[in-house]
Amino acid sequence: MPLYIRRLLLVLVAGLCLAQSSSDMLTPAIRRVGDRLACLCGSCKNTVATCSMLGCHYSSPARERIAKLQAEGKSDDEIVDDFIKREGKRALAVPPAEGFHLLSWVMPFVAIGLGLAAIWAFVKRNSKPAVAPAAVDAAVLNRYQAEIDKDLAKLE
Amino acid sequence: MENLGALAILLALCLSAYAVVASVVGKLRNKPLLVLSGERAVYAIWLLLTTASGLLLYGLLSGDFRLAYVARHSNRAMPVLYKIAAWWGGMEGSLLLWGWILSTYSAVVVWTNRRKFRDMMPYTTAILMVVQCFFLLLISFPENPFEVLAVGKGITEVPDGNGLNPLLQYWTMAIHPPMLYLGYVGFVVPFAFAMGSLITRQPGDAWIHTTRRWTLFTWMCQSTGILLGAGWAYAVLGWGGYWGWDPVENASLLPWITATAFLHSVMMQEKKGMMKVWNMVLIAATFFLCIFGTFLTRSGIVGSVHAFAQSPIGKYFVAFLAVGIAATVYLILDRLDYLKSDAHLESVLSRESSFLFNNLILLASCFAVLWGTIFPVISEAVTGEKISVDAPFYNRVNVPIGLFLLLLTGVGPLIAWRRSSWESLKRAFRWPTIVGVAVMVVAAAMGALHFYALVSFGLCAFVMATIVMEFWKGARAIAAKSQQNLIAAMIELTHRNTRRYGGYVVHVAMVFLFLGFTGAAFNKDATHDVRVGDKFTIGRYDLKINDLLDGDNDNYSWRKAIVEISVGGSVIGTLEPEQRVYKASRQPTSEVAIRRRLNEDLYLNFAGVTNDGKNLAIIQSYVFPLVSWIWVGFYTMLIGTIICLIPAKVKMQHMKTETVGYVKKNAPVHP
Repeated sequence: MPLYIRRLLLVLVAGLCLAQSSSDMLTPAIRRVGDRLACLCGSCKNTVATCSMLGCHYSSPARERIAKLQAEGKSDDEIVDDFIKREGKRALAVPPAEGFHLLSWVMPFVAIGLGLAAIWAFVKRNSKPAVAPAAVDAAVLNRYQAEIDKDLAKLE
Repeated sequence: MENLGALAILLALCLSAYAVVASVVGKLRNKPLLVLSGERAVYAIWLLLTTASGLLLYGLLSGDFRLAYVARHSNRAMPVLYKIAAWWGGMEGSLLLWGWILSTYSAVVVWTNRRKFRDMMPYTTAILMVVQCFFLLLISFPENPFEVLAVGKGITEVPDGNGLNPLLQYWTMAIHPPMLYLGYVGFVVPFAFAMGSLITRQPGDAWIHTTRRWTLFTWMCQSTGILLGAGWAYAVLGWGGYWGWDPVENASLLPWITATAFLHSVMMQEKKGMMKVWNMVLIAATFFLCIFGTFLTRSGIVGSVHAFAQSPIGKYFVAFLAVGIAATVYLILDRLDYLKSDAHLESVLSRESSFLFNNLILLASCFAVLWGTIFPVISEAVTGEKISVDAPFYNRVNVPIGLFLLLLTGVGPLIAWRRSSWESLKRAFRWPTIVGVAVMVVAAAMGALHFYALVSFGLCAFVMATIVMEFWKGARAIAAKSQQNLIAAMIELTHRNTRRYGGYVVHVAMVFLFLGFTGAAFNKDATHDVRVGDKFTIGRYDLKINDLLDGDNDNYSWRKAIVEISVGGSVIGTLEPEQRVYKASRQPTSEVAIRRRLNEDLYLNFAGVTNDGKNLAIIQSYVFPLVSWIWVGFYTMLIGTIICLIPAKVKMQHMKTETVGYVKKNAPVHP
């Protein structure tokens, strides 16, 4: 096949790969609802509002649906419920704070609480009681004083 | 060639099993020659795996498309750098790299300790070789990189390969995986020494002194790997994100967090003889989280854009983790008597306590990330319902934890060892607090009215002030005594105690990183369909499309936009965002154009052309305030860690607590 035909075909293929639409522009209202919904395209951990893949097979139609439902006068909660009805709870960007899923939110802070309790127990077990001033043997004191002087001299 | 490579791996597997048996039996039966032969086997394994790796590399570079691995991950048109990177671009090659790095580390460990720790070394060698044996099993059987393409009983070859995933054909991606592996694999060494110390019931801290530099080096590699990955995502994926809370990204963060906790708590053991059990737990957790991370990437248990193709090797990892964790827990519990603390905590207001809190918060952060990563799996198992745990969850849970950690970064160094008084704390914190509050007020006055962002700016200033004060006080004292200028005195100060002041430099890096993360609260973005001559605005920038070009070369075809950037009517430069389509895979990728500045980045992505018949170019534009501080933080962290690795000029002697007096009978007791 001549080179120019191969190049022409390649440009055609490239054009098909690149051809997209920027219809997934975000209005603040779509962004507000989209922030509560997970992008379920399978290749990102973004929300419908923050997925920036042009022509994403999930977030682009999801934004269009949000706009359509908003045009019908649906509230944010109603739109989110609509997505839950269609996709289940996985449509939400974060686990709902109810039932078993509440654990997802609570456990990290329970872990901190348990850690604090462990530190408190550790401190209590390992703390030394306040001691009376000790009578120190002069010879020992002199030995330490000499060591301090030696260290200070090293610094100079 | 393929037979030689496969044979080298099989021989290495046999030798690793031999090294385990020879080391343990030689030690138990007191046969030094058997122990020595186990050590020699370690060198032989390195030679064999170097041969196997060399052969695979030769196959990739020469385009030997009889090898299935070469056909899947390389092609003729790829530049040499990416042909080399294809070594770790697929499952089998990356496991071979894991094995080769471990064999290199093991050989270095055995060589540098050939006359030291004769009690502990056989067990250390055995543990290194158990891990080696596990990875060699995987690459010998289920994931052999030397498998050939065959039709019936005859070997065949394809004219050209599929090529490396185009997204991976970027220079940081050529370095990111090996750096991460240097980190993942490196943590095996301190773990092996810790277990060797436990098995031989060593009462002292020999394993900690020996592995301190290993751990630091490994931590540095892991940090570099993570941040190179972040840099790659920022520059390649086309949306300016550097961290997506993907399960595989999380998997690399988990051992990094526990290793950071270990690097802090280990100081308590060195200086006070405390937290011995805790340090064992931390280093074991770090090692097993490394294996867990490797498992997550390769098992398909959680959906991830990073994961290799689903493979049956997940069950091998589960078995290895289960046996390894059970053995470690048993060893720690059995040897608790050898891990008793030498000293007591004297006050809650002490450096020791701040280390405890630092460890708690680091571990809480680690748990939060781990919990978020595995919660979808747990939830599905319990409720039967799939749920999503996406970026907003991690941000909500980890931002407050992270800010508290940042606060501790500033508080810790100002508290004295053993005991601090409220008066001394007030003195130490007065100026940093004033600086922190002043920065918050200024930021709020400039319009940065975002709660977490304000707190973060304030804490960054607070921590920075504490570190500057530490350097200032020390350098001024040296300058006064030695008549040096302040800069020379600061270098002298750092050289005298590289570990302490290198640590402060790493804390400065953390401040820079947090500054970069905080900027995300003020990101701006817009998408426009444009033709030549069109203008649009984002933030303070006016953009004009000067030209739209296209072309192709052997590897890919491309389109690019020439965009002129102006601020306040003055042209400040041009950017050329580009999109490519790779010929082998027909996969499009973005080559974003970034104007990087310390205050903000202007980021343009040529996202494609419209398919409405008008063929307009789609340009996504973003302004990312302060994001460059993340990369400044990365370089600062490298410098800080390297300073920590340099031996100090003055050998520090840490006196352990000693009784020097006695309580007189009937003496009044003071609180």
